[in-house]
Parts: sequence; C-alpha cells; structure tokens
Amino acid sequence: MVSLQLDHVFKQYGEKTAVNNISLQVEQGEIYGLLGANGAGKTTTMRMVLGLIYPDGGDIRYHGKPYNNELTRIMGYLPEERGLYPKVKISEQIVYLARLRGMSKQDADKSLRYWLDRFEVPEYYDKRIEELSKGNQQKMGFIAAIVHKPQILILDEAFSGLDPVNVELLKATVKELRDNGTSILFSTHRMEHVEELCRRITILDRSNTVVQGEIKEIKSRYPREEVILYTEGQVNRLESIPGVKSVERVDRGYHIHIGTPDTAQLILQHAMAETTVERFEIKEPTLNQIFIQEVGESHE
Amino acid sequence: MNNRLGTIIGFTFKNKVKTKSFLVTTLVLAILITIGMNLPYIIKQFSSGDDGKAQQIGLLYGSQQETAAELEKYAAASGAKDFAFVKGSNEDQLKQDVKDGKLEGYLKFEEDPADKSFPKVVYAGKGDISQGLNAYLQGALQNIKTTMITKDSLTAEQIAALNKPVSFSSLDISDHAKASAGGDKEKANNQKVMNYVIVYFLMILFFTSNMMTGNMIAAEITAEKSSRIMEILITSVSPLSQMFGKIIGIFLVGITQIAAFGVVIGANLMLPNNVEMLKDFHLSPSDINIAVMVYGLLFYIFGYFLFAVLYAAVGSMVSRTEELGQAVMPVTMLGLVTFYIGIFSINTPESMLIKITSFIPFTAPTSMLVRIGMGEIPVWQILISLALLIVAILVCGWLSAKIYRTGVLMYGKRPSFKELRKAMKAYKI
Repeated sequence: MVSLQLDHVFKQYGEKTAVNNISLQVEQGEIYGLLGANGAGKTTTMRMVLGLIYPDGGDIRYHGKPYNNELTRIMGYLPEERGLYPKVKISEQIVYLARLRGMSKQDADKSLRYWLDRFEVPEYYDKRIEELSKGNQQKMGFIAAIVHKPQILILDEAFSGLDPVNVELLKATVKELRDNGTSILFSTHRMEHVEELCRRITILDRSNTVVQGEIKEIKSRYPREEVILYTEGQVNRLESIPGVKSVERVDRGYHIHIGTPDTAQLILQHAMAETTVERFEIKEPTLNQIFIQEVGESHE
Repeated sequence: MNNRLGTIIGFTFKNKVKTKSFLVTTLVLAILITIGMNLPYIIKQFSSGDDGKAQQIGLLYGSQQETAAELEKYAAASGAKDFAFVKGSNEDQLKQDVKDGKLEGYLKFEEDPADKSFPKVVYAGKGDISQGLNAYLQGALQNIKTTMITKDSLTAEQIAALNKPVSFSSLDISDHAKASAGGDKEKANNQKVMNYVIVYFLMILFFTSNMMTGNMIAAEITAEKSSRIMEILITSVSPLSQMFGKIIGIFLVGITQIAAFGVVIGANLMLPNNVEMLKDFHLSPSDINIAVMVYGLLFYIFGYFLFAVLYAAVGSMVSRTEELGQAVMPVTMLGLVTFYIGIFSINTPESMLIKITSFIPFTAPTSMLVRIGMGEIPVWQILISLALLIVAILVCGWLSAKIYRTGVLMYGKRPSFKELRKAMKAYKI
C-alpha cells in the first residue's frame, strides 16, 4: 500500500528551482532514502511533504488523499536543526507536542515513558533540554518525533552528530518502526546507513533527480569494476592481462580495477594457474561510489 | 482545534508564570507598590518628630515695630501652634541661630519706598520656605495690613467680613454630569474624581501591560523560531491557533500579574493609615461608575488584542532575540502615542484631537476611555468605536497570521515587505 506519493513535485524560489519534478512513492513499512549533497533539495522536498511549504507544481498524496488537517496526527517530523524548548522539562514539552498532535495527556505520558525506558534514560523525564549533551538532545528530538506513533515519519539527517552506539540504537528503533508498518522518508548523506536501511532511494543533485530505484537494481546498472583476489603465493604479470586498469597490492593479495566484466574471469584463470586462490570476489559498486560518480561528475 | 488551542494556552501560561524572571518582577513590583502607597504615611511619621514643638521664627525690625507687634498679636489670637515668633536684635545673630537650627528662619521688616502704608517683609531661612508657612505668613500679613490701614474707620465685624474669602465654585451642567449626579452635587463631584482616578488608572494599566505582555509575546515567538521548535509546532497546529493560543496565554499571564497587584493594592488600602487618607479625599468605592469601568475594561481587552497581534507579527519576522528590540520599535511607538494622547487630554475630553482619535482603533482604547470617563458621549459613538476596533482586530489578526505563517519559516535577514508579500500569497492560514 502506498502511504506517500509525490508526483512531479516542483518548487521554485524566485529564479532558482529548488526541487525539479521529483516523483517518488513510499510504501507502508518502507524506509525510503532521499540522498543528495548539501543544497540538493532534500529539506525542501521534506518540507513540502509536511505541508510547511506549498509546491508550485505537482501533487502530493497521503494514503491517496491530498493534504488535510488530519495529517498532523499521523505525521512525525525530526527537523535537521532539531529544536526543543531549552528551558522546559522534557516531560512537559514532549507531552505538549504529542497533545498538539491529538494525543491524550495520559497516552502521551505513557508513550514518553516507554521511549525513555527504551533508550535507557528514564531519568531524563524531569530534566531540561539545556542540561543534556548534544547527542542526548537529539535522542529527545527523535522521541518527540515518534511519541505520537505516526504512520508517516519524516527524518531529516536523523543520525548526524551521534556516536556509534547511539547510531545503532536509533537504527534499531527505525527498523522496528518500519516493521510495525510506519512509512519513513529518510534523508542523509551517510551512504552506509542507506544501504543498511533502505530498499529504494532517490539521489538528488542540485534540485534534479539523478538516480532513482531499488538499491539492488541501481547497483546492477553500474559495472562491477573491482576484483578482490587473495592468494597463497604471488601472482605475477597481472597488469598484462587485457582489460586490467590497475593493480593494488594489499596485505594478503590484490585489489584489481578492471574495464569489462569478462576480464574478471581471465584474472581468475590466470591466478589459478599460478597459485592457490583463497578468495575471489567481483565487488559490486558501493552507493558511495555511485553517489560520487553521479553527483561528483556533474559538479565538475 | 479548540482542544489544541486550550493546550497551547495552558502550556504558554504555565511556562511563563513559572519562570524566575516573572516571579521576581512581580515580587519587586508588589514591594514597590506597597512602599509607594505607604510612603506619605512613612514620611509623616518621620517628620512629625520635628513638629513636637513649634517652629521658631525670628523677627527683625527697626522702625517697623508696630507691624511686628501686630504680627505677634495676630499669631497669639489665631492660636497657631506650629509657629512661634521670637524677637531678634541683630541680623548676624539671627543668621547664626538659623544656621545652628535654633530658628527655622526670620522675618525682616524694611521700609518700602514704593508703598508707605506697609513695610516690605522678607523671609530668610535655610532653603525654600515651606508652603504651609508661606501661606500662613502671607495671610497673616495681609490681615495685619487691612487692620492697620482701616484701623479706626471700620468695626471688627466689618474687617472680619472683608477678610472672608469670596465664595466661588464651578458646576458641571452637562447631561453626563447630571445623569451621574442624581442631583447630589457633592456626590457628583466625588464621582468625577473617582472617574478621573479610574480613567488614569486604566490608561496606565493599558500602557504598561501592553508593553510588557506585547514584548513577551514577540520574544516568545522569536525564541521558538530561533530554537527551531517552530518547524515542529507549525507542522502540528495551524498557525492561527498557535498565534492566538500564545496571545491568550500571555494575556492570562498579564491578568494574573494585574490580579496579584490588585490584591497587594487592596491589602494596602485596608491598612488603617490608608483608610484615613481615603477618607480625607472623600473617596469611597460606591463612587465607582460601573459604566466607565465596564467600557474601560472592554476597550482595554480589545486594545490589548489589537496590539498583541502586531507584536506577534513582528516577533515572527525576527530570527534572533537580539534583533527583536529594534523590530518592535514601531509598535512600541504606536503604544506610546496612544498613551500620551490619553494622558495629555484627560482634562480636555471635548477636544477635536480626542474626538478623532477615539475612532482610530489603535488610539481608541485610551481616547475613548477619556471621553467616556471625563466627557460627554452618546452611546452610539462608543459602539461604533468598539465595532471599528473589533474589525481592526480581525483584519490585523488575519494579516498577522499570514505574516506569522510566512515569517516563522524565514531565517537569516529580516524579510523585506516585497518578499513578505510575495511569500504570503503562497500560504493559506
């Protein structure tokens, strides 16, 4: 079931096009990755989804319906510059925010306590935001975004500025929310998170969609250009194999860049003839490489 | 939606009232009010110690012995206890006595070349002569002069009749005065004084609470904007509910503060020394004109909301608290103008200025108050002015909500009018 659908959404600020005809679909229980360099239009897209700003063209639908006031109950938002009241007790402000989104006071309090326990910080209930470290403030912002059990969750750079332990904690939470049926629109420029969490992505570059689709399918579109070869003994004359671009010697073997996929087979045959092969892998390109290739190229 | 408005009002109110700055300000002001109200009594307590014995005033005369003697006689006859005259022989000695504090001052009698009938009298003392003493001496000397000139030609009764002041007083015969007077002149006068007090009080209340709460509203909104919680808020609730929730919440804060001051003032008025003072002024709560009070409060509340929406609009356009002071300047100026028009015109409620400004929504809260309390005004004019005020609130509220909706998402430099107008077109409220 499609929770969120953007259809040729377009936004212009003065002369500058901020988002150019973006179309995407987020299904129920899916984490959709929105990637892009700074200023590519991720935040603008998210703000349009939230109804903060109106698109100049195109259509956004939520469970098939256009924007309406009921949506505030089912949407959650963690802004990039997450904000909470610095001087107000966490319990008070998060319950307040949940109530603004239509939750009852009791339910909000129960939900907040659940999440504080879940993040193993129940003592923050009576603390003020200004007393917490930056990472913990962010955790509170995250709780504020999910406390009312939203069906559509918008996370703008949710993991930036967190230590690895907390990143794992939030990642696990995000996955759990997904498995419970929440549709999540997720923006980041950390590719490893995307590969782990998202099934489908859109890469934006200066307001244009440059790559879109399932990660697996996207990767298959890009040639596999790296071969990892670990062997017992030495393999000589690898450079002389036709199609090999470069050879890098590493501790237990070689990293070889190749021009065409066929070359990989030649390398394997060559290596097997010379010594015992311990490991042979034709690596698929990482998203990082694809991103740099797509976004980096056009920046030059 | 109403439910959420209530949530916002409650949250705003609770958090504002709990802040240290609010508690401290309220407490300090309450103490100042208490001190201020009891100051006359305290001063009296301190100064009455000196009044135990009569003030000694020296008399210096050469050839004017007769006048001086008459003065002493007059003082004795009138039974004045506060002053006593002491004969002095030379001026240096008297000066020394004044310096030492033995004498309050001394009177010097000199021949007046321009007026042979009566000498010139100079009072010499430390600092300025006190008002009571001045009046007493002038009256006494005038009296003596009359006595001396008419010495033998008039009888004592005739002199007494001459010295009696002419009876002169004013009477307000306008409908307004008659209506409230009910024929009782003294009561009418008391009511007028009471009206004056109420009008004055309501104007000061309007001005101070407007300034304080208005700035609070603007500061709260700017703070929400700069802490970026605004993005979450504005995706949760409509900006209109948000803005009015804030305005009403802060309004309640202001009312709470005023109520606290009211209790302090009331408690102070109950003190015996102040009860006596009120009696001296012939003021009693029964003289309060209910109509003035009700209209005054109506204009106060509506005026508050008109200014509050302006403050909210300004607050939403500013990204940082430091820039706020400068940005609210125009609204503050408008408030000042409103206040001063009222204060300066309180005794001229029929002037053209006040008549015109009483129909301008921004100045109506004070101008109309002056006209209702101090002047004469048909009810239909009050109602028209109120209607205009309400229309102005709706228009400005709508406009402010638009600005608010637009402004809260604009960061960086303050938006120009052109940018604002363009952006406003893009948003529904």
